[in-house]
Amino acid sequence: MGLLFLERLEGEGVFRCRRCRVDAASKDAIISRDFYGRSGRAYLFDHVVNICLGPNEDRYLVTGLHTVNDIYCSCCQQILGWRYEKAYEQSQKYKEGKYILERARMVKDG
Amino acid sequence: MGGFEDDEPPSKRARASSVESASLPDCFLFSKSANPLGSTMARPLPSQGKEAMVGSKGVIKKEEFVRIISKTLYSLGYEKSGAVLEEESGITLHNPMVNLFREQVIDGNWDNAVVTLNKIGLQDVNIMKSAAFLILEQKFFELLRNDNVMGAMKTLRREITPLGVNRKRVHELSTCMISCSPQQLFLGFSKLGIDSSSSRFKLLEELQKVLPPTVMVPERRLENLVEQALTVQRDACYFHNSVDGLSLYIDHHCGKDQLPSRTLQVLHAHHDEVWFVQFSNNGKYLASASNDKSAIIWEVNEDGELLLRHTLSGHQKSVMMVAWSSDDCQLLTCGQEEAIRRWDVKSGKCLHVYEHPGIGLRSCAWFRDGKQILSGLADQTFCIWDLDGKEVDCWKGQRSATTSDFAVAKDGNLIISLSRDNAILLFDRETKHERIIEEGSTITSFSLSEDGDFLLVNLVSEEIHLWNIRNDPVRVNRYNGHKHSRFVIRSCFGGSEQAFIASGSEDSQV
Repeated sequence: MGLLFLERLEGEGVFRCRRCRVDAASKDAIISRDFYGRSGRAYLFDHVVNICLGPNEDRYLVTGLHTVNDIYCSCCQQILGWRYEKAYEQSQKYKEGKYILERARMVKDG
Repeated sequence: MGGFEDDEPPSKRARASSVESASLPDCFLFSKSANPLGSTMARPLPSQGKEAMVGSKGVIKKEEFVRIISKTLYSLGYEKSGAVLEEESGITLHNPMVNLFREQVIDGNWDNAVVTLNKIGLQDVNIMKSAAFLILEQKFFELLRNDNVMGAMKTLRREITPLGVNRKRVHELSTCMISCSPQQLFLGFSKLGIDSSSSRFKLLEELQKVLPPTVMVPERRLENLVEQALTVQRDACYFHNSVDGLSLYIDHHCGKDQLPSRTLQVLHAHHDEVWFVQFSNNGKYLASASNDKSAIIWEVNEDGELLLRHTLSGHQKSVMMVAWSSDDCQLLTCGQEEAIRRWDVKSGKCLHVYEHPGIGLRSCAWFRDGKQILSGLADQTFCIWDLDGKEVDCWKGQRSATTSDFAVAKDGNLIISLSRDNAILLFDRETKHERIIEEGSTITSFSLSEDGDFLLVNLVSEEIHLWNIRNDPVRVNRYNGHKHSRFVIRSCFGGSEQAFIASGSEDSQV
């Protein structure tokens, strides 16, 4: 390990890692709540903090082929969701560079 | 002219040689007297048919090369060697008119010097006038110095003014003549030196700057060329890390092996991760800060080995930062969002604890005078404390990360802090002037060079930026190659004259 570099988010409606309570995303960064992950409902965010990325992987999702990275909590290394690196269908391009966080792995304050 | 004496000035001998070159017997006689070692080294006539260029690339004009060597010999005081070189090579340092001109200037023979100046054959009228002005100005001052006011007035009116150059200076000369007190005369003369002899040599140097270098070889030309070569070698030396001076015997080169790349010692004393290390300013101690809630002061012994000197215990949280006072007698340690402790380096005792009720401290720094310390708090506030723990000043920042860095430069007047996630604030406490460094991504740490002119900024985007903060901040370079994703990665300056940077990396490399 080492000295973790952690950021804090201001304001209400901050989503935190359920296990270690480190800030992950602000509700203001939510783009959509209509996603599902391995553990149920998930949200699409355009900005997250205190995460690190896994390697690029090609996955067939409900909406087609994507290249994604898994997202891990910087602090406890729990998997939180994934990030869209590349979408191969034009209708899904808006997801590129965005993040999915699974609701069941998050706790929300306020 | 008869026979020549050895005590004649070398330039006179050289000139005579040129004048008499058509007369073999006289020249032969001259060379005998000029070279007491015998005539075998001297040649009465310049060699013909040798190539005009020297050097392996054929870009050096031989005549120019020999002339600047002659100039260097004379400048170093080797009068005889200079004369012998001119004789042997057949290349004179200055042509006869120039030598005559120089003699007339040194002798104070102003009118004839101006006449000779016209005969040298300069193409540029402005250069002619500037040189004549300098000569006549010297004449003016020497006449005034000898209380010859009428002569000075005549020189100013009939010789200097008609040149039509440097009118401002002409007015100054008039003023000097009208209201000249001894002090003003002294001041006026001090520009050229009081003593006639030394002021005339200085005048000669001024004339050398005005006249084309082909007419009078500039002073120290050979030294300047050699210095340029050494500077180019050093600047081209990619791994330059040498404290010795450069040598003329071999081209300069520092190998990669000059950079440290082997592990010399492993320090075992902490019980958990070490998060921060810093050498003292004098290099005699190393402080390490650890997740085990302690800091250790190590001492560098004569063999360069580090020995444990003190274990500093007392923090209730991980120690995440240390800061040495400028005299290296005291050390600050900062517990992670806890408190700052001040320690005596010699005894290892805790001298004071700095806390803020209900808010943890995150970072610490010294002022150079050692009388105040600076800290960053968990609520993004910055505080200045005196050594007794009294808060002297406070202000608010906007950073949301859990770490913050400080530097104090320019003897405590410049405070450098992370003011926002992607911005660094440079605050001048004296002038209240603020300057901002904006980065494109979040800043995790920074470090300041020893001279206070450069800042090294670590970003989460796996880049390190180098900023020149001497005036308005300018980014001068960027570096990448290290790994950086979860942790605070720090960089620092190092090497001779701090010409290198070193950076931690999450792949266990430096």
